[in-house]
Amino acid sequence: MLAIVLGRILRMVVVMFGISVVTFAIFFATPASDPAARIAGRNAAPETVEAVRKDFGLDRPLPVQYALMMKRLFITRDLTSFANRGQKIIPAIANAAPATLSLVTGAAILWMLGGIAAGIIAAATKGRWPDKILMGLSMAAVAMPVFWVGEMVNLVTQSRFHDTWAFSWVPPLGYAALSQDPWLWFKSLVFPWLTLALLNIGLYGRVLRTGIVETYQEDFIRTARAKGLPARKVLLKHATRSAIIPIVIMFGMDFGVLVGGAAVLTEVVFGINGVGRLTYQALKVLDLPMIMATVLYASFFVVIANAVVDMLCLAIDPRMRRA
Amino acid sequence: MNRNRMPASRRRHMLAGATAIALCTAFQPALAQDDAHYGGTMKLLAVAAGGTLDPQINYTAIYWELYGFLYDGLVTFKKVAGADSAQVVPDLAEALPEVTNDGKTYTFKLRKGVKFANGKEVTPDDVVASFQRIFKVLSPTSGGFYGGIVGADKCLAEAAGCTLEGGITGDAAAGTVTINLVAPDAEFLYKLSVPHASILPADTAASDMGNTPIPGTGAYMIESYDPNAQLVMVRNPNFTEWSKDAQPRGYPDRIEYTFGGTEEAAVNAIMNGQADWMYDPPPADRLAELSTSAPDQLRVAPLAAWWYAPLNVNLAPFDNLKARQALNYAVDRNALVSVFGGPALAQPVCTILPPDFPGHEDFCEYTLNPGPEWTAPDMDKAHALVEESGTKGQKVTVVTDDSASSRGVGTYLQTVLSDLGYDASVQTISGDIQFTYIQNTNNNVQISISQWYQDYPAPSNFLNVLFGCDTFHPGSDSSINISGICDKDLDARMKAAMALGVTDPEAANKEWAKIDHDFMALAPAVPLFTPKDVDLISTRLGNYEFSSQYHWLIANSWVQ
Amino acid sequence: MGPVTGGMSILPTDDNTPSPAATAGEEAWVSRGPWRRVLEGLLASPTAVLSGLLLLVIVLATLLAPVYAARVAGSDPFRSGLSAKIEIDGERVPVMQQSTEGLGLGVTPIGPTWGPQYFLGADTQGRDVAARMLYGGRNSLLIAGASTLLCLALAAVVGIVAGYVGGRVDSVLSNLIDMIWAFPVYLLAISLSIVMIGKSYSFGPFEIASDSLIVPILIIGIVYVPYVARPVRGRVLALNQSEFIMAARGLGIRRARILLRHILPNVATTLIVFAPMLMALNIVTESSLSFLSVGVQPPNASWGTILQDGQALLYSRPVVSMAPGLAIMVTVLLLNLFGDVLRDVLDPKSARGR
Repeated sequence: MLAIVLGRILRMVVVMFGISVVTFAIFFATPASDPAARIAGRNAAPETVEAVRKDFGLDRPLPVQYALMMKRLFITRDLTSFANRGQKIIPAIANAAPATLSLVTGAAILWMLGGIAAGIIAAATKGRWPDKILMGLSMAAVAMPVFWVGEMVNLVTQSRFHDTWAFSWVPPLGYAALSQDPWLWFKSLVFPWLTLALLNIGLYGRVLRTGIVETYQEDFIRTARAKGLPARKVLLKHATRSAIIPIVIMFGMDFGVLVGGAAVLTEVVFGINGVGRLTYQALKVLDLPMIMATVLYASFFVVIANAVVDMLCLAIDPRMRRA
Repeated sequence: MNRNRMPASRRRHMLAGATAIALCTAFQPALAQDDAHYGGTMKLLAVAAGGTLDPQINYTAIYWELYGFLYDGLVTFKKVAGADSAQVVPDLAEALPEVTNDGKTYTFKLRKGVKFANGKEVTPDDVVASFQRIFKVLSPTSGGFYGGIVGADKCLAEAAGCTLEGGITGDAAAGTVTINLVAPDAEFLYKLSVPHASILPADTAASDMGNTPIPGTGAYMIESYDPNAQLVMVRNPNFTEWSKDAQPRGYPDRIEYTFGGTEEAAVNAIMNGQADWMYDPPPADRLAELSTSAPDQLRVAPLAAWWYAPLNVNLAPFDNLKARQALNYAVDRNALVSVFGGPALAQPVCTILPPDFPGHEDFCEYTLNPGPEWTAPDMDKAHALVEESGTKGQKVTVVTDDSASSRGVGTYLQTVLSDLGYDASVQTISGDIQFTYIQNTNNNVQISISQWYQDYPAPSNFLNVLFGCDTFHPGSDSSINISGICDKDLDARMKAAMALGVTDPEAANKEWAKIDHDFMALAPAVPLFTPKDVDLISTRLGNYEFSSQYHWLIANSWVQ
Repeated sequence: MGPVTGGMSILPTDDNTPSPAATAGEEAWVSRGPWRRVLEGLLASPTAVLSGLLLLVIVLATLLAPVYAARVAGSDPFRSGLSAKIEIDGERVPVMQQSTEGLGLGVTPIGPTWGPQYFLGADTQGRDVAARMLYGGRNSLLIAGASTLLCLALAAVVGIVAGYVGGRVDSVLSNLIDMIWAFPVYLLAISLSIVMIGKSYSFGPFEIASDSLIVPILIIGIVYVPYVARPVRGRVLALNQSEFIMAARGLGIRRARILLRHILPNVATTLIVFAPMLMALNIVTESSLSFLSVGVQPPNASWGTILQDGQALLYSRPVVSMAPGLAIMVTVLLLNLFGDVLRDVLDPKSARGR
């Protein structure tokens, strides 16, 4: 057990190191990425630009700069942004994390419930109308870009029908902390949750349906049916259990990357100042310290989520243990 | 001001009626009635925060608009609406300075009893320390604005030990401060009026203070700041109004600035009464709808700014004068105006200095019938010039930033260049990176889309900054002369005009108009249009005033 | 349609070697020739025929874009038409309409005329949206199709190798997958867009310019590899322990043969499920890349870029963003219907189970 945990930690370090080096390399390979002139400000005198370059250590060799940045990020933990000078990176991410976590967790619950329900119903009614309607809707959900859906939701709830009984309860866009006002937290997240979940309900529903239909043909299921187990029990217990593996894997990947900041479009369109928006703002101004920190933060969750998923898969389907 | 954070447009009273109404409301209410307007919380929105709070470093329009109510200089721009807003008035100084020594020595007498938000009284020592601090914190304008102070050259070379010896002295007993310049400077009072010359407590650390607010002397102070969430301003408890023109008391008790979301969402929030104003211009898509459904909530004002396409005079094909002129003849300014939202929001231009700016004279060389105004593109002349230049068929890449307007203008220019026979393409660079990319000669940018907003109302702030030899630094990311033009003759004339401004501003402005004209004959850029500011305000917001320097005077408006 | 050829090109190679373990049914299936059997199976399904035909219509329509632009719409969809005017009911109407009511702010492009000119209206540059939709379809189908194909092929290889070979190879590949999944793609895109401004690079016979479609195809093709490769790996791991593979091993059948005969067909079905959805995701991803200046560049178009143009007109001309959204949806739906039938035809087990 200890060996597994240590192995995972080692793997995490490897992935995070690789990602950080690549990020650093891409940044400095980009023309006009030099932060000195942007930090110095518009029409700064050449002397000022040089002084700024020295002040921020941008005149030092790249490996030294990399090492210093890592030191300030992980050891002294006082790394500051280039763009919002004086903004400490770690507290900024720590403040943004709860918003993203609330958004993604709520949406994840919705899309898992919705996706599993849609997948099972569709599989149970394979080839008939409920199946066709559900799968048609799921394709539609996948084809609609999140940003567009979000703007449409806002158009309806915040503008066109904001004054009607149906949407007058919708609070202004933005995130309300759970600890301060749980009810407001819930109300303000309802539509972001739905919007973010929509795409994945379609995706998960389809994958689950196919998995169930497929495992239905497998020998052990046929055995179970031959033994005279009721159809519903076979469907729910055996077929779904086996078919849920790809769903769990996908969930791990999606959850990890979304918590890490991939929910940026949903965050921006609904005014939720989470990690995704932080990443997006940092990219817009090529703010290296913030980019580096958010990228590492994201890779941390990706690795963790995948590790959890691997364990879960083993628990669900012991066949996946290597011989 | 960081042009990327600048709203893409801004307003003045298009309707004479609106002006009249605004004036009436400003003067009519009786005092008792006026008292009722004091108080309440004003809610402002912006898509993104503006970075560091340090007033000597921050160079963004979004925070310059706030600094007027947080900090004071020795002098400042008058906080009123209309033409007077470009006037310099005494602020922490009792009166405008006494200028002696052939315009090289400025002596200020400080007001007594003005206190910082931390309760300490402003002394000449604070003033001296603040000027040293401009250099110590590597302020962006330390060279450009304050490099003319005696001793500044040493401070620029070695910032940490900056003393400005011989440049600035304070006399604590007399309560005076004396500033010595190397040469007379007609624009020096303007330079003292911008936020970079704010007076801060002498014990403020000589480094970028970032998110930590520095105590100021203004009517408000910053209570909290998180660039990823909110900035809150509250009344400064140590403030008493000493001059309504320089630092008015302000109506709201509290100002909350929230960052995040989209422009669309901000419009919805204002229309739903959840916010009072948005910093970013309302999306073009909503303007038509808003201008019919909520005309009372929109304010439009012209800006001292221009949108232009710098042409690299050192790189083919625009190293050829005829090619540059051809493009100037071919660009349909009306089409560009429609990209920006129509004639109510932008005005076609042919000159470098914006309309109503000192030194501006109406003239247009590059139009169908040259005269005072641009009328229509002259495609015949443009085609002929391209033929003569021999540059036809060359590859041209237009570099734009990723805002909708910049991309739209770039896409249109691609069509024009193709029509002229070039092999044209458009490339967009994300956000703030474009501005430094197009400046560096190593990147070989032929033509780009850029904007310039005034720092203060002087012609040199456009002409000398954008086309002077001093601002062209090959191989540097900080080379604001994007065209890379350095005409020795014109450069000498600009220096002379600046010197003339000290003694005879009228004559200087006439000379600037000629310089503008002569620069356009060399066509180092294509002037596109002058943008206007659009502000969308809530129904409860009253006493909206627009200053040409600060833009909307936030605290001069009330919310109750 | 990526996975189709991906799966089939591998299957036939399998059939050249006789299979002692193959059942009689599989023997018969193989003897008829896989290509013909697939074709017959598809033709037997009205759903497959109809969706296939409609997909063909979409492809043909996009190929006929120049004809539409020149003969029907009568304007160049790549040229800004900001001062253009068209005739409606005998009246000359400007394409970009200046707001006249109220304060007169804002310019709105002409809405759908439902006539030959500006059928779906104009975009913010006064260009014919319908004509751009047709041209855009070409780029979108090409980029999304090619990147989907690439993604599925890579994911199949990575997933199968990781799951089947196991050991150190598995852990290296899994690390790589995690790294790709956490990779800052947009930083790379911003960087590439700046590096490539006004330049072109040649690799042998290929010349890659900043507007080359190869760049987005490669980027998009790789981005979603982890998303498909991990479920594939999971599937292979589970299959490794399944009764029939254990039995095959017990019979002493070569690993390569088990892989081709038993594992690949099972994995192919997973790939086919992902294909249409990847198409949809890729079209949208392409639009964000082109917004960052990688791939389709203005004035050129793709459905994704039109969608983005439309976002600026969401409140006044919603049809500009709805049209590409609908086009993506219909294409993906058809692909999906086609893919469902194809999977049944390809996977004899699932077909027999009905």
